[in-house]
Amino acid sequence: MANLLELQNVTKIFGGGLFNRSNVTVAVDDVTFAISSDRPSITAVAGESGSGKTTLARLLLGVIKPTFGNVIYDGQDVSRMSGNDRRTFRREVQPIFQDPFEVYNPFYKADHLLHVAIEKFGLADSRDERVQLIRDALETVGLRPDEMLGRYPHQLSGGQRQRMMVARALLLKPRIILADEPVSMVDASLRATILESIRTLNRDLGISVVYVTHDLTTAYQICDDILVMYKGSVVEQGSVERVIRDPKHPYTRLLVESIPQMRTDRGWDEGTDEVLSIDESGETTGCKFADRCPQVMDRCHSEHPTPFQIDDDRVASCYLYDESPIANRSTVAG
Amino acid sequence: MALNTSTTSSVERLERSRSSELPTTIDELRSWGKGESSLPAIDVKNLKVYYDSEAGTVKAVDDVSFALQQGERLALVGESGCGKTTLGMALMKLTKAPGYIDGGQILLDGRDLVPLNDEEMRLARLAEIALVTQSAMNALNPVMRIEDQIFDGLIDHGIRDSKENLRNHVYDLLRRVGLRENVGKMYPHELSGGMKQRVAIATGTSMNPKVIVADEPTSALDVVVQRQVMMTLSRVQRDTGAAVILIGHDMGLVAQFADRIGVMYAGKLVDIGSVQQIIEEPKHPYTKLLINSVPDLEEKRERLTGIPGIPPPLVDLPPGCVFAPRCPSVEDICNVLEPGDTDLDDNRHVMCHLFDPDVTMAGSEVG
Repeated sequence: MANLLELQNVTKIFGGGLFNRSNVTVAVDDVTFAISSDRPSITAVAGESGSGKTTLARLLLGVIKPTFGNVIYDGQDVSRMSGNDRRTFRREVQPIFQDPFEVYNPFYKADHLLHVAIEKFGLADSRDERVQLIRDALETVGLRPDEMLGRYPHQLSGGQRQRMMVARALLLKPRIILADEPVSMVDASLRATILESIRTLNRDLGISVVYVTHDLTTAYQICDDILVMYKGSVVEQGSVERVIRDPKHPYTRLLVESIPQMRTDRGWDEGTDEVLSIDESGETTGCKFADRCPQVMDRCHSEHPTPFQIDDDRVASCYLYDESPIANRSTVAG
Repeated sequence: MALNTSTTSSVERLERSRSSELPTTIDELRSWGKGESSLPAIDVKNLKVYYDSEAGTVKAVDDVSFALQQGERLALVGESGCGKTTLGMALMKLTKAPGYIDGGQILLDGRDLVPLNDEEMRLARLAEIALVTQSAMNALNPVMRIEDQIFDGLIDHGIRDSKENLRNHVYDLLRRVGLRENVGKMYPHELSGGMKQRVAIATGTSMNPKVIVADEPTSALDVVVQRQVMMTLSRVQRDTGAAVILIGHDMGLVAQFADRIGVMYAGKLVDIGSVQQIIEEPKHPYTKLLINSVPDLEEKRERLTGIPGIPPPLVDLPPGCVFAPRCPSVEDICNVLEPGDTDLDDNRHVMCHLFDPDVTMAGSEVG
């Protein structure tokens, strides 16, 4: 099985210069996962704020280099790519960011962004061809080109701007789109529309998507696989169907139980034991979730759990499952 | 502790405008607002909040009416720009120029807040109607200890008591929101986001108000903390018997917390009913679309559907029904005639011609 984009034992440490070795933040801690090139997939990277999910996305984009480990794209180490390969990588791996307001320059028309992308990568030979490409891309994401072209960013709604970003990514015919919280700043009614356009890219155009989010509900709706991160480590990963419908790791369970569901039978009322919140928990040498875990055991405080293969589709790093075989990490596909 | 006695005139002004019943000691405060009343905790009648702009008058809240009994929880939902926050601010009379309340009544336990002057309103806030905002981080003074900030509100509302009594009251408040007493001695930067939001709830409820307006109190928090904060609000609400108006856009959160849901669109309250009614049998076409756009964990959907189109600009509302341009069940009459409020039962109102017995429409459900 060939991997398109792959993280091999990647660790990213921030801070801690020459004179300050104690004050370091391990943002991403020994993460291994891969996006297969066999079939286009949508993979969610989920976690609370501070879990390292955005750092992981930036590592995948090649914007920052890992402290240890390798990021491999199409068989090549991203941090050691030659100019040409790097250019290809930059075109084939496209980001969509959280804030659909900040990415636009208010002095230019909104479609300026699309023209620049085409020019920089020399995708069109003539002006007509360029405009045609833009119109096609806008239509693919469900926008009417006549309503969009020639308008300034402030004349568009948040949802339109974000879909225009999806169109920009699409223009470059990428193989992977990395969407970092693409819908957290738009209204709930527009979220569905934007996510649906992202799903279209995956279904109809065969583009793989990495969807970074804190929202497990939308992740469940559009993704095939999921990685749940906690304090920089992946605690559980596998198919969304398994991980979200039947979470095994106590942290994933806590997350899933905390989702307010739109139902009239309230599963959410009081009576739940108070769990520490993430910022009240301290440093530990063992499992990072140990001091918040309702099922904590003695060894959790001293040993760091390895990933256990619970079933074919799922791996969890928790000693509750130490009877399962240790996962062979090179085959763990995200 | 300085008791705000820097100038005599300010004290005199305070004494003059205090409504005579406001509590003056912690003991009185404990029984404050506990009395049974047959009147609704808050009764909003035909409230209008307008903004004057060069392009015309913006009707941010237009003719909104609803009533809330003691201990009831109402959630106001809608897309951004629908006027839900403007409404919340107007209830506190915190509407900023160029906005103004153009008409209507806000009856708090029978007393209308609209004609009150600034000083009378200042005293009514916190003691009778309190606000818990979205960004508790910004609501706290970074250079004051938590307990001092809570004292400030009490003293400013005329509580005169020993430091010990005040402090014990603050400790009670902190314990009620699940925080340790020593949080009182801390500064805001020493607290996490969830703890700060709990402090905001403790402060907001420090004088047992009859009504709490909670404007997206958890939108800056992670799911796990969000649940803890909402449970805290729940507990405090039950404890004080206050009515809560929760402003939010997360339908899941609203379903888990509220008794009733009011759906706002373009400044109007287009649909209001119990949580069951709104979620299980939505009536207004906008409510239906809103409910359908919420993804869930029940089953994977083939297609995620949003609401087509965008809300109309508030300076240039369509004639007739404001939702007509986006409505899947639109008919000719909708573009001409504005629908009135149809009462389906005591607590269920819908603003849509489909349910108006005086209007005959192809898809009409009333007959």
